[in-house]
Amino acid sequence: MHSLAEIREPLILGEKSYGDITNDVVDPIENKAPKGWYILMAISGIIALYGIGLILYLIGTGIGVWGLNKTVGWAWDITNFVWWVGIGHAGTLISAVLLLFRQRWRMAINRSAEAMTIFAVMMAALFPGIHMGRIWLAYFVFPIPNEFGSLWVNFNSPLLWDVFAISTYFSVSLIFWYIGLIPDFATIRDKVKSPVMKKAYDVLSFGWSGRAKNWNRFEEVSLVLAGLATPLVFSVHSIVSFDFATSVIPGWHTTIFPPYFVSGAVFSGFAMVQTLLLVMRKTMRLESYITIKHIEYMNIVIIVTGSIVGVAYITELFISWYSGVEYESYAFLNRATGKYWWAYTIMMSANVLTPQLFWFKKIRTSLIATFLLAIVVNIGMWFERFVIIVTSLHRDYLPSSWSMFYPTWVDLGIFIGTIGIFLFLFLLFARYFPVLALNELKSILKSNGEKYVKK
Amino acid sequence: MGTTKKYWAGVEEFQQTPGFLESQEKEFNEKIPVEEFLNDERLDSSTTGRRDFLKFLGFSVAAASLAACETPVIKAIPYLNKPEEAIPGMPLWYASSFYDGHDFASVLVKTREGRPIHIKGNKKYGLLKGGINARINSSVLSLYDSERLTHPLKGGEEISWDQADQEIIEAIAAAKSSGKKIRILSNSIISPTTNMAIQGFLTGINGEEGALASHVTYDTVSYSGIRSANNKSFGKSVIPVYRFNKAKTIVSISADFLGNWLMSNDYAVQYGEVRNPDGDWMTRHYQFETLMSMTGSNADYRVAIKPSEEGLVAIAIHNKIASQLGGVKINVDTIAVDEHIDQVVADLIANRGSSLVVSGSNEESIQLVVNKINSLLGNYGSTIDLDNPINLFTGNDEEVSSLVKEMNQGEVAVLMIYGTNPSYSLPNASEFNSGLEKVSTSISFGLYADETGVRTLYNLPDNHYLESWNDFTPISGDYALAQPAISPLYNTRQAQESILKWSGKDQSYYDYIKETWDFYIPEEEGLFTDIWNKALLRGVYHSEKMPAAEWVFNDGSLQGVSASINSISSSAGAWEVVLYQKTGIGDGRSANNPWLQELPDPITKITWDNYFTVSLADAVAMGANIYLGEKDPASLATLVVNGQEMTLPLIPVPGQKSGSVGVALGYGRGGNGERIGKAAYQTGEDGQHIIVNDLPLPVGKNVYPLVNLGNSYTYRQYNAEIAIVEGTYPIALTQTQHTIMDRDSVLRETTLNTYKTEDKEAYNPAHTLPIHVDGKLVQTPVKDVDLWAEHPVEGVGHRWGMSIDLSTCIGCSACVTACHSENNVPVVGKDEIRRARDMHWLRIDRYFTSDMNKEIGDELGLGQVEMYRQMEVPSNNPTTVHMPMMCQHCNHASCETVCPVAATTHSMEGLNQMTYNRCIGTRYCANNCAYKVRRFNWFNYNAYSKFSEVNPAQDSMARMVLNPDVVVRSRGVMEKCSMCVQRIQAGKLDAKKEGEPVKDGAIQTACADACPTHAIQFGDLNDINSNVRKKAKSNLAYLALEEVGTQPNVYYQTKVRNNDNENNA
Repeated sequence: MHSLAEIREPLILGEKSYGDITNDVVDPIENKAPKGWYILMAISGIIALYGIGLILYLIGTGIGVWGLNKTVGWAWDITNFVWWVGIGHAGTLISAVLLLFRQRWRMAINRSAEAMTIFAVMMAALFPGIHMGRIWLAYFVFPIPNEFGSLWVNFNSPLLWDVFAISTYFSVSLIFWYIGLIPDFATIRDKVKSPVMKKAYDVLSFGWSGRAKNWNRFEEVSLVLAGLATPLVFSVHSIVSFDFATSVIPGWHTTIFPPYFVSGAVFSGFAMVQTLLLVMRKTMRLESYITIKHIEYMNIVIIVTGSIVGVAYITELFISWYSGVEYESYAFLNRATGKYWWAYTIMMSANVLTPQLFWFKKIRTSLIATFLLAIVVNIGMWFERFVIIVTSLHRDYLPSSWSMFYPTWVDLGIFIGTIGIFLFLFLLFARYFPVLALNELKSILKSNGEKYVKK
Repeated sequence: MGTTKKYWAGVEEFQQTPGFLESQEKEFNEKIPVEEFLNDERLDSSTTGRRDFLKFLGFSVAAASLAACETPVIKAIPYLNKPEEAIPGMPLWYASSFYDGHDFASVLVKTREGRPIHIKGNKKYGLLKGGINARINSSVLSLYDSERLTHPLKGGEEISWDQADQEIIEAIAAAKSSGKKIRILSNSIISPTTNMAIQGFLTGINGEEGALASHVTYDTVSYSGIRSANNKSFGKSVIPVYRFNKAKTIVSISADFLGNWLMSNDYAVQYGEVRNPDGDWMTRHYQFETLMSMTGSNADYRVAIKPSEEGLVAIAIHNKIASQLGGVKINVDTIAVDEHIDQVVADLIANRGSSLVVSGSNEESIQLVVNKINSLLGNYGSTIDLDNPINLFTGNDEEVSSLVKEMNQGEVAVLMIYGTNPSYSLPNASEFNSGLEKVSTSISFGLYADETGVRTLYNLPDNHYLESWNDFTPISGDYALAQPAISPLYNTRQAQESILKWSGKDQSYYDYIKETWDFYIPEEEGLFTDIWNKALLRGVYHSEKMPAAEWVFNDGSLQGVSASINSISSSAGAWEVVLYQKTGIGDGRSANNPWLQELPDPITKITWDNYFTVSLADAVAMGANIYLGEKDPASLATLVVNGQEMTLPLIPVPGQKSGSVGVALGYGRGGNGERIGKAAYQTGEDGQHIIVNDLPLPVGKNVYPLVNLGNSYTYRQYNAEIAIVEGTYPIALTQTQHTIMDRDSVLRETTLNTYKTEDKEAYNPAHTLPIHVDGKLVQTPVKDVDLWAEHPVEGVGHRWGMSIDLSTCIGCSACVTACHSENNVPVVGKDEIRRARDMHWLRIDRYFTSDMNKEIGDELGLGQVEMYRQMEVPSNNPTTVHMPMMCQHCNHASCETVCPVAATTHSMEGLNQMTYNRCIGTRYCANNCAYKVRRFNWFNYNAYSKFSEVNPAQDSMARMVLNPDVVVRSRGVMEKCSMCVQRIQAGKLDAKKEGEPVKDGAIQTACADACPTHAIQFGDLNDINSNVRKKAKSNLAYLALEEVGTQPNVYYQTKVRNNDNENNA
């Protein structure tokens, strides 16, 4: 029995009924897409093709078309990789961690957030692939029997841990997301009239019948997968941070990275979710489901994780002095005042100052402010990875090797291309997949018979 | 393991019947009715025609592509009669000699399958202890230049040798009869047999009377000042042998004796012998110079002076010595810089008889003063040997000038040009060229149709020195032979053969050499064949040396000196110019050698260009760009001197004297697009030659027109103007940070005094880390703080290691080119170098001192930021360290743990291995290398168009120089120094075949082999008696970045300078 608590605002506004929920989500799929969708698809499609073209150019000609050199072996490639993986963490946290914490507000956002994760991880996985000098031998990283006397891979290497981490992350996220979609596909199948769409969603829903047994298994599996996915939120980005933490380079060699990176990932992920969802809720008229409350809760997560990141920055600065290691202190002085001081400034202001603004209720409940600040956060987080990677490498131990890094148009083009591919995929998702978790939302719909009582 | 039985398919095969042989040719034994099928009319009427057609089409396409996929046929043609010693896969070494008119060296040439691929010094038997420099070991590449002339030419058209000989003999006869002159213009010939051949030729024309025909010697860089000074001082026009290894005090006034002055490759060897802090004594080196030269960067005391002050410094030293040892002062109007002169004089006098004063100026007056100084000090007979002088640099600048006059007056009918390129390097080249037009029969023996060669009527290309027989006597009493290591690649002929032919001799030059040697070697020495074979095997022959005579200095020679030096110093203007030579390019001969163009200059670390060097203070005052890097181009400046204007990029060099400009000779080759080699022309961002006004742009600019034409060529201009102009110029440097930032775990220096008197902790403190042991803080040596288990390397098997002595590394970079040659390292061109993507496995880091360090920063109370900022700026007169850096083969390598596919592993013998075929190119290893010694193949250097003009591996001829023992890496793969593992394996195999353990010194890496001063040494650290083990245990030994815990196998020896105080203040 559900009783209406006066203390909290309802999670679904507008006195919706079960039918309303279904219609609100399935109608955009069934009906013709608005013109804006086609335009955005075209734009993102073109950008995506441009990016793919440049990737082919890179693979065909060589890593030399990027701006890397003998001293700075990684720059935009790994920055982009970590940025995309970080973004992905929000979806998993929302889907899995918040499920285990029984936070019902997650249900309006988890489907699209998880979709965002899938696409972000796909974009992330591109980079370790294309950054290889010989991508056609990428299968060497897999421990499969071979004719080199069966040569194993090097389990000491963080890059190899990345291979396992990212592939595990991708597969678990994909399965979790897809399993959640099955009942919703069935709903769509039952509702749509076009025989082609009916058949398509029938295939996608694996013949879901809605029987109690199905639901039973569904909920058990969801719990198991949530249990599997939760540690991934913490482990995957910790492993990604090991790419740097296990090295000897000053600025990389630090134990603070795992918690720093994980909180940074959730931080940037939630910011990206905000960016996407604020647009999506407006254009698909989902304001009743993705309410100001949801936006506010997500902003609170941003405050928490952003503050952790801010504390981590300050800790790094302190330790660089306290350690007494001249290379470490030079690395941070160089970051703040050297040739890339501008990147450090962007990083600090965007990541440390911005989330603190959300302490003000007015700002954290303002849609415009949230949208703008979320973009600032993502830019800041990109620069954080750039600063970590490039400023640590470009001036390390031996002054004779010091150099600068300058990106080329190929660096830029591929990055923008991945944003294009990501948007393209997300738009496809928004058009053809249920953007809200129908079945879950219906479970938190609080309705009572009051409105039927004649006054 | 097979049997030797052979099984026959049938009688037909056994008997090899014609039918059987025919059937072998056919693909299928049965007859396939192809013809019938295709001619079948039913095909046209078939109802299923379309489908069948597609089937057949698909089949035939598949069959064709399969057929096309067959393995290409590579023909391996075995010897019919195999020479006994020629085993394919095993190298053959020949002793030969290198001489290009400027450097002489005894070399060993490594050939594989009949191709020379590597050159090293003949250290064991060769003259000058086999000392070489970067130009010499890179010369193997010029053998395979596809732009060499392949056959004789007349007027640009092919002509046969016989035809050419005939015409020329006629021309000579015609000239003789018409009373016109015949001249041979050549570089200094130190070959006695060649000289004899020429003499024979000339005598044949001249007979007993007249001098219609003569031989004019022209040196691209002239040292005639020394000869004429010695002639005046001692009555003998010689250049003496200098013994730097007997000099306890060396004073050099602008002589770059380690890099380019006289027999610098010899002096480098000698210098290395006496810079050992553990030796009986260590020489003390004072350098007075304008530019920061490689030699000056190694000096214990260095004073920057203006070129016009060179004579004044010499006179100041002379006068002070004269006042103490008895001599007449030379009066001058201006007093020289007083810094250090007292100390210099005190040291010289204290080491009388074992000191040496030299000058790099070609002014006779300055050389006279230097002679007097050495004479007063009693150095003749000990550190200077006039009795057995060197035979190089016999160029007579006056004769060259008069030849040019004669040519312009139309008096010369036949001119032969051998071993020199006057149309490029003469200061008055335009006059020479106009004179050349008036010579009816001009002949060039050059290997290229170069600046001179395109202007002569005949081009009779000489053999490359690796294809030639020759003999040399660089120093009186010492002889060397050169033998061909490969048959002439093209239809070329040795110039000496031509001379002999035109003298009417029908003898090969080889026979002529043997005949000459037979004639002159005394009978008592033994059987000629034995002597000859031994000389050929070792490359050298020693004859008697002249005993030391009493040399009396003719004081009268000093008469005009005062006036001459006064006039120089009074003519000095605001700016003075010094023309110098770079270590890689030298006088310009090797401008077409991509290895040398890509070799970073030891001081500026700039490749592929020449430029104006000015002092740091001047550059700041002029508002020029001080910081140079990938997107930080140099400012342009225009120099106006002697009525000539020239614009080049402006490079600030710490240590250069304010008010001076330096610019390197040897650039600007091929000004008219002559075919002298692809690497002589500048490439742009796409790697293609830059075309300006339809001509390819040469690398740098030719500054030979700025050479002073006086009685002798001098390389200073005393009155010039220079100013910044608009525009910038991209510069390709391999090093953009020039100071060590006070990181003493990378670089350690001390003074001889400190080393001899104080504890190790004072000059080479051990790295310790504070570790808690039982609640107490214990400073523990780094080696004992270890997460990893010990590899069992100590005492087990080999443990290859190196010792690099910073006291003896002079920065000559011969090791860098040796490494390129041995390991097939690609050349990447200017644009890639600018983008910090050089491929040097071994580099020489050059660090200047800064005025700022942590101590001073603390004292001044500067904040950290400001302190580090100031530390980046070199001092105005810095001291310099050259630090060779290659893969340290760390025992706890940070690169090995991070490769995801285990492409880089550690061998049982201590080497860090790089497995190219496993590498997928993630570059984590390079990122994690604290020493940044790894190099990535960013592009396909072997095929991508950006490298077609610079990388030898892309040239069909030049790729013959590649070492077959070393893989040529593909795109996307990481590479680095392997400690020449191919040599280690070969050495171990040799020892195994002998049945003996590996002897210390038997295996040498290419860099250790090339090093003239033995700064780089390689050996087995587990061999108790090895050199490197002793060095590793020395008090001076340290490991670079020891506290990072990588445990390198390369030990550096702290740099010891022989100066009393720090910062040579």
